Amino acid sequence: MSPDGARDPSGVCFTMHGIGVSGGIAIGHAHLFAGMHAEVDHYEIPAAEVFREQRRYDKAVKEVRDELNELADSVRHSAAAELAPFVNVHRMLLDDAAFTDAPREIIREQRCNAEWALRQELDELLAQFSDIDDTYLREREADVRQVAERVLGALAGTRARIAMKPVREDASILVARDLSPADVILFRQHPFAAFVTDLGGATSHTAIIARSMNIPAIVALHHSRTLVHEDELIIVDGTQGVVIVNPDRHVLAEYRLRQNQARLEKDKLKRLRSAPAATLDGTPVQLYANIELPSDVETVRASGATGIGLLRSEFLFMNRRDLPDEDEQYEAYREVVQSMKGMPVTIRTLDIGADKTMEGDGSHGEQPVNPALGLRAIRYCLAEPEVFNTQLRAILRASRHGKALILIPMLTTWNELTQALAAVQRAKEQLRDEGVKFDEYVPVGGMIEVPAAAIALPMFIRRLDFLSVGTNDLIQYTLAIDRADDRVAHLYDPLHPAVLALLAGVIRTAQQNEKPVAVCGEMAGDVELTRMLLGFGLRHFSMHPAHLLAVKQRVLGTSLPDIAPTVARILKTDEPDKMQALIEKLNA
Amino acid sequence: MLKRAIKVTNKLGLHARASAKLTQAASKFESAIWLTRNGRRVNAKSIMGVMMLAAGIGTTVELEAEGPDEAAAAREIEALFNDKFGEGE
Repeated sequence: MSPDGARDPSGVCFTMHGIGVSGGIAIGHAHLFAGMHAEVDHYEIPAAEVFREQRRYDKAVKEVRDELNELADSVRHSAAAELAPFVNVHRMLLDDAAFTDAPREIIREQRCNAEWALRQELDELLAQFSDIDDTYLREREADVRQVAERVLGALAGTRARIAMKPVREDASILVARDLSPADVILFRQHPFAAFVTDLGGATSHTAIIARSMNIPAIVALHHSRTLVHEDELIIVDGTQGVVIVNPDRHVLAEYRLRQNQARLEKDKLKRLRSAPAATLDGTPVQLYANIELPSDVETVRASGATGIGLLRSEFLFMNRRDLPDEDEQYEAYREVVQSMKGMPVTIRTLDIGADKTMEGDGSHGEQPVNPALGLRAIRYCLAEPEVFNTQLRAILRASRHGKALILIPMLTTWNELTQALAAVQRAKEQLRDEGVKFDEYVPVGGMIEVPAAAIALPMFIRRLDFLSVGTNDLIQYTLAIDRADDRVAHLYDPLHPAVLALLAGVIRTAQQNEKPVAVCGEMAGDVELTRMLLGFGLRHFSMHPAHLLAVKQRVLGTSLPDIAPTVARILKTDEPDKMQALIEKLNA
Repeated sequence: MLKRAIKVTNKLGLHARASAKLTQAASKFESAIWLTRNGRRVNAKSIMGVMMLAAGIGTTVELEAEGPDEAAAAREIEALFNDKFGEGE
């Protein structure tokens, strides 16, 4: 590559196929999220250019410093405040001589470009880290690596800006090898129009968060990081799972048209916001929202949801090394409960473990072989009674500001429920003794996501106030599919007869026992499955707010007596083709 | 020149955030401050150096301070270690 970074702008058009995990169309320029395993340019520069190259490097460092300062300011006042110390560490690392001086020296000594100088310095630093015996301390090389990646990104930016004069109006599309949920939360600050990754599965946590940002996303592309170049124009069709790189004029025009149509469709849906959800025959249906952070409440309001069916509390616990104390949790829950103004807010107790790991649990170094089957959710909470107690107290305290419900994840055994209920009682007694006010009648519900719980439901249902079916885990456990493993992710099938039988059974049993039951997994937000779930008897859906209006539109156009015969046939079908045909018939 | 041996007692050792605290504290002083462990001697005002010291729980580091405010510097840094960097464990 030439020193000015200029590339043939009319690159070859090609397409890539992956798993579309968040629908919609985005058109924009590629921004490569540099992993340092990526190649870095190396070229020599004339002696006269050394000073200029050093200045280019200084400028990139300054840019990153500004960026980190901005990030520090924005996280300080946001729900992601726990990230602030990490941003601070990055700022200090950036100001260390290893970053401010060493690469400048290398540029002078070797007369090489800034990227190559930085790369060499980083290799040197990483080599020293790899000599460290302590696993935890050795892994802190990640911080050094991330700072270097930021500087490299800024260097690419300075070059790109010189190469392309006009300021582009299109947004950027993030192209990465893989993203952690923590990465994606940080990206909320950046106006990315879409993201595509080489790894990941359809229901990995990363995908779920992408949907929560309401931008198209495609995972499992395998080679996008190597095939796509910085700044290339790409189209991301998240619905079809297709990436088109360097589209020609006609393709581009076609996709712009589709993009506009989708936008119009969305505007039309917005008018449904305040309409009450009910079927054509007048049966009311509750549409609730799933959220991750207190700041998501705004989106919930805009979607017209009548409650929160799932508040994933673990996001308070991630991206940090200590545990949030009772007051911090209380503030977060209170904020949500209060701003929902009396509408129900279902707070799921900590579901840490599996793909959501926490740094503060002190278990670094030991990776369980099979985390989805390991110490997670209620198992973790019962093993760490103080963590559980702190959270329950915080939820109970928040309950007096509106309508809070407690949801226990991953119930499997009788004793787990017994202990969980006792923990709630204990927290209540403590608060009573301390004279702290709370809602004495906070309902306690259980997540039905382990097949054992779905099958042996009578064992739990009498002792719970409500149920919520987590279809993602229920499918993963029923079919033995690791939803984060892209080699088997295609086998993950919500329409497997075993899944449908369990789901319909849970809904039926709940109705017989007159206990409210909701579905809060991804299935609840899939408009193609809305009628089937209504036919099973489901009257309570909780989904990402982005899907809510589309699901409402489907509910409003559904007549329960009309769909009943087709739904009955779906439950008797075992051939995938027939199943698909019946689903299509249902949605016709 | 002041010298003293300090034991690392916080659970995670001199990890990134503890290193940041240490570096920030050291930078307030005019004196030159060095930490040595296993023959590796680093400037306590450089976060990179402190992180690379790889001082985990139970290790001992040697603190050296030299300059006009060396006594105050040594006192404050030792206190930071003894306070487990405010982490409580």
